[in-house]
Amino acid sequence: MKLEIISFGKISEFITGQEIEVSEIDNTDQLQQYLETSFPQLLGMKYKLAVNQNIIQANQQLTENDQVAIMPPFSGG
Amino acid sequence: MSEKKIKNIFMDGAISPAFIADSIAQHSTKTAIGGHSIFMGQVRRDEINGKFVAAIDYTTYQEVALAKMHEIREAIFEKYPLSCMHVHHSLGKIKAGEICLFVFTSSAHRKPAIDACNELVERIKAELPIWGKEIFEDESHQWKENI
Repeated sequence: MKLEIISFGKISEFITGQEIEVSEIDNTDQLQQYLETSFPQLLGMKYKLAVNQNIIQANQQLTENDQVAIMPPFSGG
Repeated sequence: MSEKKIKNIFMDGAISPAFIADSIAQHSTKTAIGGHSIFMGQVRRDEINGKFVAAIDYTTYQEVALAKMHEIREAIFEKYPLSCMHVHHSLGKIKAGEICLFVFTSSAHRKPAIDACNELVERIKAELPIWGKEIFEDESHQWKENI
Protein backbone atom coordinates (compact mmCIF):
# COMPACT_ATOMS: atom_id res chain seq x y z
CA MET A 1 0.00 0.00 0.00
CA LYS A 2 1.21 3.47 -0.86
CA LEU A 3 0.90 6.22 1.77
CA GLU A 4 1.89 9.85 1.77
CA ILE A 5 3.59 10.96 4.97
CA ILE A 6 3.82 14.60 5.99
CA SER A 7 5.19 15.99 9.21
CA PHE A 8 5.30 19.21 11.19
CA GLY A 9 7.22 21.08 13.85
CA LYS A 10 10.07 19.26 15.55
CA ILE A 11 9.17 16.02 13.75
CA SER A 12 9.73 17.64 10.34
CA GLU A 13 13.41 17.88 11.26
CA PHE A 14 13.85 14.11 11.00
CA ILE A 15 10.89 12.91 8.92
CA THR A 16 10.55 14.77 5.65
CA GLY A 17 7.51 14.59 3.44
CA GLN A 18 7.64 11.33 1.50
CA GLU A 19 5.70 8.57 -0.10
CA ILE A 20 6.14 5.19 1.48
CA GLU A 21 5.30 1.77 0.15
CA VAL A 22 4.33 -0.57 2.96
CA SER A 23 3.08 -4.09 3.15
CA GLU A 24 1.23 -5.71 6.03
CA ILE A 25 0.09 -2.36 7.37
CA ASP A 26 -3.57 -1.61 7.23
CA ASN A 27 -4.27 0.61 10.20
CA THR A 28 -2.74 3.56 12.03
CA ASP A 29 -1.56 1.51 15.04
CA GLN A 30 0.54 -0.63 12.70
CA LEU A 31 1.78 2.45 10.87
CA GLN A 32 2.77 4.00 14.18
CA GLN A 33 4.89 0.93 15.01
CA TYR A 34 6.47 1.07 11.57
CA LEU A 35 7.27 4.77 11.99
CA GLU A 36 8.76 4.30 15.45
CA THR A 37 10.98 1.53 14.12
CA SER A 38 12.06 3.56 11.09
CA PHE A 39 12.45 6.79 13.04
CA PRO A 40 13.44 5.93 16.62
CA GLN A 41 13.51 9.65 17.47
CA LEU A 42 9.71 9.35 17.67
CA LEU A 43 9.97 7.02 20.66
CA GLY A 44 9.16 8.86 23.83
CA MET A 45 7.78 11.85 21.91
CA LYS A 46 4.17 12.90 22.12
CA TYR A 47 2.52 13.14 18.73
CA LYS A 48 -0.81 12.80 16.99
CA LEU A 49 -1.72 11.51 13.56
CA ALA A 50 -4.15 12.96 11.07
CA VAL A 51 -5.48 10.87 8.19
CA ASN A 52 -6.60 12.85 5.17
CA GLN A 53 -6.71 16.02 7.28
CA ASN A 54 -8.73 14.49 10.12
CA ILE A 55 -6.99 14.25 13.47
CA ILE A 56 -7.57 10.75 14.77
CA GLN A 57 -8.12 9.79 18.41
CA ALA A 58 -8.16 6.00 18.01
CA ASN A 59 -6.87 3.32 15.66
CA GLN A 60 -8.17 3.75 12.13
CA GLN A 61 -8.11 1.71 8.92
CA LEU A 62 -5.80 2.99 6.19
CA THR A 63 -6.40 2.74 2.48
CA GLU A 64 -4.28 3.21 -0.61
CA ASN A 65 -3.00 6.78 -1.13
CA ASP A 66 -4.07 8.04 2.28
CA GLN A 67 -2.20 11.07 3.50
CA VAL A 68 -0.96 10.69 7.06
CA ALA A 69 0.30 13.70 9.00
CA ILE A 70 2.53 13.33 12.05
CA MET A 71 2.09 16.21 14.46
CA PRO A 72 3.97 17.00 17.67
CA PRO A 73 2.15 18.90 20.47
CA PHE A 74 0.76 22.23 19.28
CA SER A 75 2.39 25.48 20.33
CA GLY A 76 0.49 28.30 18.69
CA GLY A 77 -0.36 31.65 20.20
CA MET B 1 -20.56 22.06 10.00
CA SER B 2 -22.45 25.01 8.54
CA GLU B 3 -22.18 26.29 5.00
CA LYS B 4 -20.55 29.50 6.17
CA LYS B 5 -17.29 30.29 4.46
CA ILE B 6 -14.17 29.21 6.31
CA LYS B 7 -12.19 32.32 7.25
CA ASN B 8 -8.45 32.44 6.98
CA ILE B 9 -7.05 33.51 10.35
CA PHE B 10 -3.43 33.43 9.22
CA MET B 11 -1.31 36.35 8.15
CA ASP B 12 2.34 36.43 7.17
CA GLY B 13 4.47 38.28 9.65
CA ALA B 14 3.64 40.21 12.79
CA ILE B 15 0.24 41.76 13.49
CA SER B 16 0.82 45.51 13.47
CA PRO B 17 -0.61 47.84 16.13
CA ALA B 18 -2.10 49.84 13.24
CA PHE B 19 -4.02 46.76 12.03
CA ILE B 20 -5.39 46.26 15.54
CA ALA B 21 -6.35 49.94 15.89
CA ASP B 22 -8.09 49.83 12.53
CA SER B 23 -9.94 46.68 13.52
CA ILE B 24 -11.24 48.45 16.65
CA ALA B 25 -12.22 51.54 14.66
CA GLN B 26 -14.30 49.46 12.27
CA HIS B 27 -16.71 48.68 15.09
CA SER B 28 -17.79 52.27 15.75
CA THR B 29 -20.74 51.86 13.38
CA LYS B 30 -21.94 48.75 15.24
CA THR B 31 -23.77 50.62 17.96
CA ALA B 32 -25.45 47.62 19.56
CA ILE B 33 -22.03 46.68 20.94
CA GLY B 34 -21.38 47.72 24.54
CA GLY B 35 -18.20 45.83 25.31
CA HIS B 36 -15.12 44.58 23.52
CA SER B 37 -12.56 42.15 24.82
CA ILE B 38 -9.14 41.83 23.24
CA PHE B 39 -6.28 39.43 23.76
CA MET B 40 -2.92 39.96 22.14
CA GLY B 41 -0.13 37.43 22.25
CA GLN B 42 3.36 38.92 22.11
CA VAL B 43 6.59 37.07 21.45
CA ARG B 44 8.50 36.97 24.72
CA ARG B 45 12.27 37.34 24.89
CA ASP B 46 12.62 34.28 27.11
CA GLU B 47 15.99 33.40 28.57
CA ILE B 48 16.71 29.68 28.25
CA ASN B 49 20.04 28.35 29.46
CA GLY B 50 21.64 31.75 29.14
CA LYS B 51 20.36 32.39 25.60
CA PHE B 52 17.62 34.82 24.65
CA VAL B 53 14.76 34.16 22.25
CA ALA B 54 15.08 36.57 19.33
CA ALA B 55 12.02 35.42 17.35
CA ILE B 56 9.48 32.65 16.94
CA ASP B 57 8.97 31.09 13.52
CA TYR B 58 5.37 29.87 13.24
CA THR B 59 4.16 27.15 10.89
CA THR B 60 0.80 25.40 10.63
CA TYR B 61 -1.09 22.54 9.06
CA GLN B 62 -3.33 25.10 7.45
CA GLU B 63 -6.28 23.05 6.16
CA VAL B 64 -6.70 21.29 9.50
CA ALA B 65 -6.17 24.48 11.52
CA LEU B 66 -8.76 26.44 9.54
CA ALA B 67 -11.34 23.66 9.72
CA LYS B 68 -10.79 23.37 13.48
CA MET B 69 -10.96 27.16 13.90
CA HIS B 70 -14.25 27.16 12.02
CA GLU B 71 -15.61 24.54 14.41
CA ILE B 72 -14.42 26.56 17.44
CA ARG B 73 -15.89 29.76 16.01
CA GLU B 74 -19.30 28.12 15.55
CA ALA B 75 -19.22 26.65 19.08
CA ILE B 76 -18.32 30.00 20.66
CA PHE B 77 -21.03 31.85 18.72
CA GLU B 78 -23.48 29.20 19.89
CA LYS B 79 -22.43 29.50 23.52
CA TYR B 80 -22.17 33.29 23.92
CA PRO B 81 -24.35 36.16 22.62
CA LEU B 82 -21.60 37.82 20.58
CA SER B 83 -21.91 40.54 17.97
CA CYS B 84 -18.44 39.97 16.52
CA MET B 85 -15.47 37.65 16.72
CA HIS B 86 -12.12 38.18 15.03
CA VAL B 87 -9.05 35.95 15.24
CA HIS B 88 -5.69 36.55 13.59
CA HIS B 89 -2.55 34.46 13.99
CA SER B 90 0.87 35.13 12.51
CA LEU B 91 2.92 32.75 10.42
CA GLY B 92 6.63 33.05 9.72
CA LYS B 93 9.26 34.74 11.80
CA ILE B 94 7.93 37.10 14.48
CA LYS B 95 10.50 39.03 16.48
CA ALA B 96 10.45 39.34 20.27
CA GLY B 97 8.13 42.19 21.22
CA GLU B 98 5.90 41.79 18.19
CA ILE B 99 2.27 40.65 18.24
CA CYS B 100 1.57 37.13 16.93
CA LEU B 101 -2.02 36.52 18.07
CA PHE B 102 -5.00 38.88 18.10
CA VAL B 103 -8.37 37.73 19.44
CA PHE B 104 -11.19 40.26 19.51
CA THR B 105 -14.76 39.65 20.70
CA SER B 106 -17.64 42.08 21.07
CA SER B 107 -21.08 41.88 22.64
CA ALA B 108 -23.84 44.07 24.02
CA HIS B 109 -22.48 43.65 27.56
CA ARG B 110 -19.00 42.93 28.86
CA LYS B 111 -19.29 39.42 30.29
CA PRO B 112 -19.92 37.37 27.15
CA ALA B 113 -17.16 39.28 25.35
CA ILE B 114 -14.65 38.61 28.14
CA ASP B 115 -15.59 34.95 28.64
CA ALA B 116 -15.68 34.19 24.91
CA CYS B 117 -12.30 35.85 24.40
CA ASN B 118 -10.72 33.78 27.20
CA GLU B 119 -12.21 30.55 25.94
CA LEU B 120 -11.10 31.28 22.38
CA VAL B 121 -7.50 31.90 23.43
CA GLU B 122 -7.39 28.66 25.43
CA ARG B 123 -8.89 26.62 22.60
CA ILE B 124 -6.65 28.21 19.94
CA LYS B 125 -3.55 27.30 21.95
CA ALA B 126 -4.71 23.76 22.71
CA GLU B 127 -6.46 22.71 19.53
CA LEU B 128 -4.99 24.44 16.47
CA PRO B 129 -2.12 22.64 14.74
CA ILE B 130 0.37 25.50 14.90
CA TRP B 131 4.02 25.16 15.89
CA GLY B 132 6.41 27.80 17.14
CA LYS B 133 10.15 27.44 16.67
CA GLU B 134 12.00 29.65 19.14
CA ILE B 135 15.03 31.13 17.44
CA PHE B 136 17.78 32.35 19.73
CA GLU B 137 20.06 35.31 19.16
CA ASP B 138 22.87 32.93 18.08
CA GLU B 139 20.54 31.36 15.39
CA SER B 140 20.19 28.06 17.27
CA HIS B 141 16.63 27.00 18.01
CA GLN B 142 14.26 24.90 20.08
CA TRP B 143 10.59 24.05 19.59
CA LYS B 144 8.19 25.96 21.81
CA GLU B 145 5.87 24.04 24.10
CA ASN B 146 2.61 25.51 25.35
CA ILE B 147 2.06 25.31 29.08
